[in-house]
Amino acid sequence: MTSVVLEGYGLTKRFGPATALAGVGLAIGRGEAVAIMGPSGSGKSTLLHCLAGIMKPDEGEVRLLGQRVDTMGERERSALRRTRFGFVFQFGQLLPELPADENVALPLMLGGVSRRDAVRRAREWFGPLGLGGMEERRPGELSGGQAQRVAIARALVTRPAVVFADEPTGALDQTTGHDTMRLLVEATRGGDASLVVVTHDPQVARWCDRTVEVRDGRIMAGVDA
Amino acid sequence: MRAALGLGGRLLRAGGRRGLLSAGLTAVAVTVCTALLLFAVSANVAFAGRGDREAWRNPVPAKGRAVAVQAVHVDYVRDRRITVVELAALEPGAPPPPGLDRFPAPGEVWLSPALAELADELPADQLADRFAGRRGGTVGDEALVHPGELVAVRGWAPDSPVPAGKGADEPRGEVASTRISDFAGEPTPDAQGYRILALIASVLMAVPLLVFGGAAARLTVARRDQRLAALRLVGATPGQVVAMTAAEAVITAFAGAVAGTLLYVLLIPALTGIEIAGGSWFAADLWPGVPYTLAVLAAVPLLVGLSAVIGLRRVVVGPLGVAKRETPPGMRFVRVAVLLAVLAVVPTLSVGSGGGVIAVVLGLAFLSINLAGPWVVGLIGRITAGTARGPVRLLAGRRLVDDPRAAWRTVSGVALTGFVAGFVVLLNPSADLLGEADASRLRVSIPAARADAVAAEARERLAAAGVRAGTEVTGGGGEGGGKVLVVALGVREAGAPGKAEAGEKAGQGEKTDARVDAPVDAPVDAPVDAALVDRARTALDGLVPGRRATSTADDDRFGRLLIGDIGTGTIVVLTVSFLVAVVSAGITAVSSVLDRRQTYALLRLAGTPLKVLDRARRAETLIPLAVMGGGSIAVGLFCALPFAITGLDAGGLATLLACVLLGFAGVVGAGAVSAPVLRSVTENPAPRPD
Ligand SMILES: Nc1ncnc2c1ncn2[C@@H]1O[C@H](COP(=O)(O)OP(=O)(O)OP(=O)(O)O)[C@@H](O)[C@H]1O
Ligand SMILES: [Mg+2]
Repeated sequence: MTSVVLEGYGLTKRFGPATALAGVGLAIGRGEAVAIMGPSGSGKSTLLHCLAGIMKPDEGEVRLLGQRVDTMGERERSALRRTRFGFVFQFGQLLPELPADENVALPLMLGGVSRRDAVRRAREWFGPLGLGGMEERRPGELSGGQAQRVAIARALVTRPAVVFADEPTGALDQTTGHDTMRLLVEATRGGDASLVVVTHDPQVARWCDRTVEVRDGRIMAGVDA
Repeated sequence: MRAALGLGGRLLRAGGRRGLLSAGLTAVAVTVCTALLLFAVSANVAFAGRGDREAWRNPVPAKGRAVAVQAVHVDYVRDRRITVVELAALEPGAPPPPGLDRFPAPGEVWLSPALAELADELPADQLADRFAGRRGGTVGDEALVHPGELVAVRGWAPDSPVPAGKGADEPRGEVASTRISDFAGEPTPDAQGYRILALIASVLMAVPLLVFGGAAARLTVARRDQRLAALRLVGATPGQVVAMTAAEAVITAFAGAVAGTLLYVLLIPALTGIEIAGGSWFAADLWPGVPYTLAVLAAVPLLVGLSAVIGLRRVVVGPLGVAKRETPPGMRFVRVAVLLAVLAVVPTLSVGSGGGVIAVVLGLAFLSINLAGPWVVGLIGRITAGTARGPVRLLAGRRLVDDPRAAWRTVSGVALTGFVAGFVVLLNPSADLLGEADASRLRVSIPAARADAVAAEARERLAAAGVRAGTEVTGGGGEGGGKVLVVALGVREAGAPGKAEAGEKAGQGEKTDARVDAPVDAPVDAPVDAALVDRARTALDGLVPGRRATSTADDDRFGRLLIGDIGTGTIVVLTVSFLVAVVSAGITAVSSVLDRRQTYALLRLAGTPLKVLDRARRAETLIPLAVMGGGSIAVGLFCALPFAITGLDAGGLATLLACVLLGFAGVVGAGAVSAPVLRSVTENPAPRPD
C-alpha cells in the first residue's frame, strides 16, 4: 500500500438523537480511488463531509498528511478545502453567470493567481475532458454531462491532494454517468490526486481501487481491488 | 379561476420556510408600497380639501340677487397671518357662512379656535383689541384651511364703511367688497398652485413606488420559477401556470395591501404634523376616502399580479428557459433611445407649460430612466467583468451582465431618488431671493385729503399705547391720490424713515417732504420686538376703515412661506423615495441571495471564503449604484433646468449631497441585512434545491 494521504479514525457524528456516524475509520492512500457505497441515509455524505473538513466530527480525528484537520477553525478548514481538496457535487455547483472557463479558473483566482494565468490554466483541462470549444459557454448552455466535466476540471485545476465527489453522476443517465465517472477517475489519477467518491452504482465502484460499504454509520466491509 | 386561486394558495403554503420567507418579503414590500401610495394619493385629496374649505373666502360676485356683502382683509400677529372676513347682510334671510351657525349680526366677531386662544394669551393691546365687539362664537373647522389657522369673521351693518369700502390695490389674499348670493366661492389661485405642486410631488413619489411594486412581484416569481418550470415539465398548461402564479402573487399582495392601508392609517396622526402653507393638517384631510382606498386596495394586487405574469413570461414560453438558464438575450439599445427622446422634449418645457404636461413629461422621464437602467447596468457589468483582475469584481460584473434587470431592481430606488433629488434641488428657491425685510416700519394707506388729520390721530393713538415711533406721510400723485403713512417703530419721537429705499417702497411714488417734526435718520434707539409691532398694529387698527398697518416683512411673508413649503415638500418626497429605495434594496438583496442559495452553499463547501461572496454581492450593488445614482441625479438636474428659479445654492447642494450619502448608506445598510441570510444559506452542509 502506498503512503497515506488522508485518514480518519473513530469518526462519530450525531444529529440530535440520530447517530449518522458511529466510529468510522478510513485511510486513503496517495493516488488511490475509494468508492463509498451504502443505502440511503447510512451516513455516506456525512463521512465525506467529515473527511473533507466541511463538518467537524463529534469524536475522532481526521489527518491530512499527518496534520489534524478536525481541530482547525472554520477559516483554516475553508482554506484547506480551497487549496488541497477538490469537490464535485451532484449538480448546481457552477455559477450560472460565469462562462465555463471562468468557472474552472475561479478557485485559482481565489488563490491569488492572476486572471489571465488562471483562465489559461483552466482551459488546459478542456481538451482532455472532451470539452474543446465549450470554454465560453455558460453552464445553462451545457448538457448535464458536460457541466459535470466542467465541475471535474474545476475540482482538479488547483492540483489538489484529494478530490471528493458526492454522487457526481446521480443526475445523469447511466451511459453519460459512466463516461463521466471514467473521466473523473482517470483525470484524478492523471493529476496525481486521490479520489473519494460516494456512489450508488456498483459499476462506478468497479473503476475505483477500493469500495467501502457504509451501513448505519459503520463501515461493513473493505474490498481491496 | 377558483381552482387557480386554490392551487395558488396551496402553492403558497407548500412553499416551505424559504417560500414563506419570500412571500413574506413580498408582503412587506407591498405593505410599504401601499402605505406610501396612499400617502401620495392623500396628498392630492388633502390639498383639494384645503382649497374647498378656503373657497368661501374667495367670493364670486353675485349673478342674480345679492344677499350679502363680503370683503376679506389680511392682518398679522407675531409672524402669523390672520384672515379677517367682513360680512354684512343685505337682507334678513342671508345664509350662514361655512363654520358659523348663523349669519353674524352687525358688531359681532367670530374667531377661529387658534385665534381665540392667541387673543386670550397675548395682552389685549397686542391682539384682542383689534377684535373688540360681541363674541358671536367660534369659527368651525369646516371653514378653516388648517387646525391652527387664524380667522376672524366680523359682522357689519350694510351701510358701514368696512365691508362697503373699496380698496385701491388689494394686497395678496385680500378681497375687495363683493356682493354675493351664496358662500360657494372658488378656490384661490394660491390653493390651485399648491394642488399642482402636490400633483408633481405625488408623481415623483408614485413612480418609484410602482417600479418597486413590480420588483416585489417578481420576487415571488423568482422564488417560484424553478418549481413552476417543473410544473410545466410535468405537463401543466401555460394558462394553468400563469393563473397559479398570478393567484399566488395576488393573494400575497392583497394581504400586503391591507396591511399597508392599516399602516397608513396608523401613520396619519404623525403625518398631520407636516406643516405646509402655514399649518398642519386635520386627520380627516389625510384620509383619502373610501373610494380611493378601495381603488388602491384593488389596483395594488392587480398590478402585482400583472407584474408577476410578465415576469413569468419566460417560464411560460418554454419550460427550459428558466430551468436551463441560458444566456439572456442582450438588452436593446432602444431603451436608451427612449430616454434620450424624452430628454429631448424637456428643454421645450417651461413654467408656462401647464401642470398636466409637466407631470406627464416628468413621469415619462422617470419611467424611461427605469427603462434605460437595465441596459446601462448591463454595460457597466460588461466593463466591470472585462477589466476585473480578481474574483470579486469578476463575479460582480458577470452577475450584472447575467441579470441586469435584477441588479437594476436593487439600485433603481436610489437611482430614482437621485433623479428626484436632482430635480427638486434646482427648483428650490432660496430665501435670499426676497432680500431683506424690515418689520419695524409699518405702513397704512390713507386718504390724501385727510392725510394730516389721520397722521395726527395715528400719533395720538401710538402715544396712548405707549409705542415710540416716528411718522411720515409719503406718496401721493398717482393711483387716486392715495398717500401712505409710514410709522418707524422704535424711533425717539417722530422721525422720518431713514432709508430712502424704504420710503420709495412704501410710497410707490416719489418721496415727498411731508416730514413730521423729527430729525432725519433718527436712530432706532429702542428695541423693536414682535410685541411692540403688534401693539402698534393694534393701536392703528381702524385708523382708516378697512386698512391695516403692514410692513415689508409682511409683504414677503407669502414668498417665505412658499419657499419654506417647497423645502418641506422636497424633504417629504425625498424621504418617501428614500424609504422606497432602502426597502427595495434590502428586499432585492435578500432575494438575490435566496435565489442562488444552492450555488453559494456549494461554493462555500468547496472553500470559497464567505468574504469573497459577500464582497462580490456588495460590489454587485455598489458599482451600479454609483454609476446609476450619479446618472440619475444628472438627468434630474437636466429635467429641472427649464423650471429652475435660481442656480444651485449651498442649501440645495447640501440637500443633494445628504440625499446621495443617505441613499448609499441606506442601501449598504439594507444590503447588510442579506449578509446573515448569506451566512445561513451557506451553512447548510447538504444544500439541495428545494
Ligand atoms: N444536517 C443534518 N441534520 C440532521 N440530520 C442529518 C443531517 N445530515 C444528515 N442527517 C442524518 O444523518 C444520517 C446520515 O445522512 P447522510 O446524508 O450522511 O446519508 P447518505 O448516506 O449520504 O444518504 P443518501 O444516499 O440518501 O445521500 C441520516 O439519517 C440523516 O437523516
Ligand atoms: Mg448523501
